[in-house]
Formats: sequence, C-alpha cells, structure tokens
Amino acid sequence: MREHSQKDEEVEINMTPMLDIVFIMLIFFIVTATFIKEAGVEVDKPFAVTAEPKEQASILIAVTENDEIWINRRKVDLKSLRANIEKLHAENPQGTVVVQADKRAKAGLMIAVTEAVNASGVPRVAISTETQK
Amino acid sequence: MRKFSKVEEEAEINMTPMLDIVFIMLIFFIVTASFVRESGLDVNKPPPSPDQPKNDEKNILIQIDANNRVFVNLRPVDISSVRANVERLHAENPKAVVVIQPAHDAHAEMVVRAYDQAREAGVYNVSIAESRE
Repeated sequence: MREHSQKDEEVEINMTPMLDIVFIMLIFFIVTATFIKEAGVEVDKPFAVTAEPKEQASILIAVTENDEIWINRRKVDLKSLRANIEKLHAENPQGTVVVQADKRAKAGLMIAVTEAVNASGVPRVAISTETQK
Repeated sequence: MRKFSKVEEEAEINMTPMLDIVFIMLIFFIVTASFVRESGLDVNKPPPSPDQPKNDEKNILIQIDANNRVFVNLRPVDISSVRANVERLHAENPKAVVVIQPAHDAHAEMVVRAYDQAREAGVYNVSIAESRE
C-alpha cells in the first residue's frame, strides 16, 4: 500500500470545472424538457418503412384494440376528445399531435380521431408507426 | 504543486448549499426528461370533396373493406402488392394522387400499410378519406 501524504486535509478540490459541467447539464435538461403528454396505454403500432421521426410531438393519443381512446393517461370519449386536445395544446402550442393506433383498432375510429385533432386547430397530426421490426 | 498562496482562501463563498440545489434540480430534470422517440406518418387532409366524380379517374383509389380486403381502383389485390400497383398506376399518370378509403371496421394496420406502400412507390401525395359506412 502506498503511503498517503498527511497533508490531505489542507488540499482543497477545485470545484469550479465540475460546477461548470453540472450547470451546462442542468441547462441542457431544462431546455430539452418538453413534458410530453403520454397516452398512458401501450399499443401495438403498425410498421412503416417511410416513417419520419417526429421531434415536436407533445401530445400522444392512443387508440387501443378495444376502440378506446386514451389521452394524457385518461380514457376519453370521442366527443370530449376535441376539448381535451384543445386544453393540452394550449399548454404547449408548438407541439404536434401523434395518434398511436393499435394494429387492430378500427380505421374509422383512427380517422375520426385525426379529424378531431384537425378540428381542434392543431396544424400537424401524424399516425405513429414502428420503424424497424 | 501548490501555486496559490494561503492568503486568497480567506474570503471564500460556501458553495455547498448551491451545489446541493443544483444537483437536485439536475436529477429532477434528468428523471423527468422523457426522450420519447416517436416516428410516424403525416396525415394529409383529403381533398375538399373526395368523391367528386371528375377526380375519380385521376386518383389512385385504394379501398379497404371491413374484412381487410384491399382494392386498388376497384380491383382486388393483396396488401403486399399495393406498392407494385401504385407504382404502375403512377407511371401511367404521374399526376395522380393516392386516396385511401377504408371502411369503418377495417384495421388501422391496413390503412398504415397501404399509406406506407404508396409512399414507397414514390407517391407522397396520399390522403386518407373519411370512412364509408
């Protein structure tokens, strides 16, 4: 074992570089925090080859196999969906909406949901897909 | 190693409480940062009146019925050959747009696959019409 110097208590660690790094990380995480409103259920998303990543997605709406609509961890009715989207969209006007439809969900319901999104004034809506198997 | 004189250390701000707070904020933002990577397909609104008769000849119409059978321009095809069909029709009429018309009870997966294949075939002007009853 190496012998340590007895002067250890006098030496003070210079905190400044660590503080710099911690602050930069803090700023990074504050800036990137988007607080996505997750749907709250897992759905089996269909695959698509030509899908593009959606960076701005802030509201996720899930349409499950049993034709339930989930938004912000709550199950909602198709009629009250529009009001819910409007409320969530007002919190983050930059964000877009992504509809996560289950493979076995009814196409008509999926389209009705995208119509509701359009009607609530969100300019961009996308259907969520899986890019790779 | 000790370059600094002892004199300058006398007036030093105690950084420890600030560091504690900064670390706690850092941890909070790291934990809440949800890097949800969503990828998806943008949904176009259908043209103003999708069932105008004059458009029917120009458009490539993909219909999906309630039993998930696929018809390209009223001809039954397999879902996996939608791409080839769209490519052929697109070559015949490069101005044609693709309109997907699913039945209400069709599976969402079929709509997404048809959409994806149309885009793979090089037609990026794809719209999903409201479902037929």
